[in-house]
Amino acid sequence: MSQPGTNEIELPEAKALIDRFYDVGMMVYFFATIIKCTFSRPFYFMRLVDQIRALGLGSISITIVIGLTMGLVMTLNFGYGLAKFGGVLYVPAVVSLSLAREMAPIFTSLLVAGRIGSGMAAEIGSMNVTQQVDAIRALGTNPVRVLVVPRFWSAVISLPLLTSLSCFLGILGGMVVCQNEFGMPPGFYINKVLDTVMIHDFLSGMVKSGIFGAIIAIVGCWRGLATVGGTRGVGESTTWVVVTSSIAILITDFFISKIFLLIWGH
Amino acid sequence: METILNLNNIHKSFGEKRIHQGVNFELHKGESLGLLGGSGTGKSVLLRSIIGLEKIDSGKILFHDKEVQGFTDELNLSKLRLKISYSFQSGALFDSLNVFDNIAYPLFEHTKLSYVEIQVKVAQVLKLIDLEGIENLMPSDLSGGMQKRVGMARAMILDPEIILYDEPTAGLDPANIENVVSLMLKLKERGQSSILVTHDIPAAIRFCDRILILIDRKIYFNGTVEEFTESDDPNILKFAQGQAKEAHHAS
Ligand SMILES: Nc1ncnc2c1ncn2[C@@H]1O[C@H](COP(=O)(O)OP(=O)(O)OP(=O)(O)O)[C@@H](O)[C@H]1O
Ligand SMILES: [Mg+2]
Repeated sequence: MSQPGTNEIELPEAKALIDRFYDVGMMVYFFATIIKCTFSRPFYFMRLVDQIRALGLGSISITIVIGLTMGLVMTLNFGYGLAKFGGVLYVPAVVSLSLAREMAPIFTSLLVAGRIGSGMAAEIGSMNVTQQVDAIRALGTNPVRVLVVPRFWSAVISLPLLTSLSCFLGILGGMVVCQNEFGMPPGFYINKVLDTVMIHDFLSGMVKSGIFGAIIAIVGCWRGLATVGGTRGVGESTTWVVVTSSIAILITDFFISKIFLLIWGH
Repeated sequence: METILNLNNIHKSFGEKRIHQGVNFELHKGESLGLLGGSGTGKSVLLRSIIGLEKIDSGKILFHDKEVQGFTDELNLSKLRLKISYSFQSGALFDSLNVFDNIAYPLFEHTKLSYVEIQVKVAQVLKLIDLEGIENLMPSDLSGGMQKRVGMARAMILDPEIILYDEPTAGLDPANIENVVSLMLKLKERGQSSILVTHDIPAAIRFCDRILILIDRKIYFNGTVEEFTESDDPNILKFAQGQAKEAHHAS
């Protein structure tokens, strides 16, 4: 401690790094607990339905907006970019492939992370600071089963569905732009899309968004259950969840894409 | 008398902060214990430890000669918590559920009663706590005193062996205090064993058989109500005066 400089500067950073690893380890353990609770009784089916309604159906409007916007904007930019080289014919392929593989899963998940991840953290977090989570335990039930498992599966089920919706709307938006800006007949556009996008492109997008849904729910619920410090703590938790799950989604996306490329080769 | 709960040399700390250092006492069947102590002396922590919501550092909590700390798996812990129920200091009602669903929660979870039977049972309990017909209100529509009583109703609906009351009268007006104390007395007449944590010494004297006082991380005094009221120990007199002042400030 008497040595000025080195130690004092490095220690907090090292500690922050260790905390990060500790958090990741805890979340992996939390994930294992969720899986264990899923495959043993009791399983709260009605709560799952409620959560799908709240998280899935509730996110449809922002999904529509993000899907259409992505399609319109990407097609406009690719269209005028490729037009310089006489490549307008490739626009349907480029747009639909990037939507199915990357853009729809990533952007939908990031937006939904903001909506439902923060919602989970806020809801469970405020239950925790008002002792409602303890009440669940004290009444002989398990908060992971009651609160977390339904949210986890509703996110894992809803996100791929939302992603397909935004992907579909994006391709539709692209078709509209292609027809109006570049005079491309819709029939030609659709044929091009169907020729290019293989089932595995679409599936990889689905699997990705399912994994992103799991990440959002794990981060949101875990932090919710760890929330302390009253309403201020709830606020901190929601911010933390949005930032952390977004970063986690982006990092995971790279590795999943890598794995899919290894599997399918292109 | 049969001992149903036995706390033996409990030690508990949060990090550097020591809360309990050698707490000992017993609860007998049908008995009502009053646990007193200044604010922040760890009364709530002690109750939470009894149902396994907090992990003690060392010592033993025995429920019917079985160690509570040994109840680690989900099923056993759940069984323990059906037998010892905890009425939270804040009520801790689920604010997304209405009063009916709050009180019925343990019934839906742990019994096979039909919906109609549950409705009847909830109505009975609401009558017992003098709040008939409020099934459809949300917790946010209730006053603090009503929330507390609904929380107590939820804690007692499965007829637990022991009820742990955490400050059931704190922050209530005299009429509500009367309601709560007479409710607890009604249950006591039926043979309910309980531990009452409170700052309200008159209520403790009315309700309890024995009084325990937590001072300096230990049970400083353990005696009958008469021994407590007639005590001339300066520490106890000082403590009683402090509590009376606190109660005065609170109201
Ligand atoms: N989870 C926790 N982490 C750290 N400290 C805690 C925790 N829970 C309680 N404490 C501390 O333990 C001490 C005892 O808390 P407890 O709530 O048991 O007091 P109490 O006797 O019930 O007080 P009151 O009469 O005000 O309700 C307090 O100083 C509190 O700050
Ligand atoms: Mg307390």
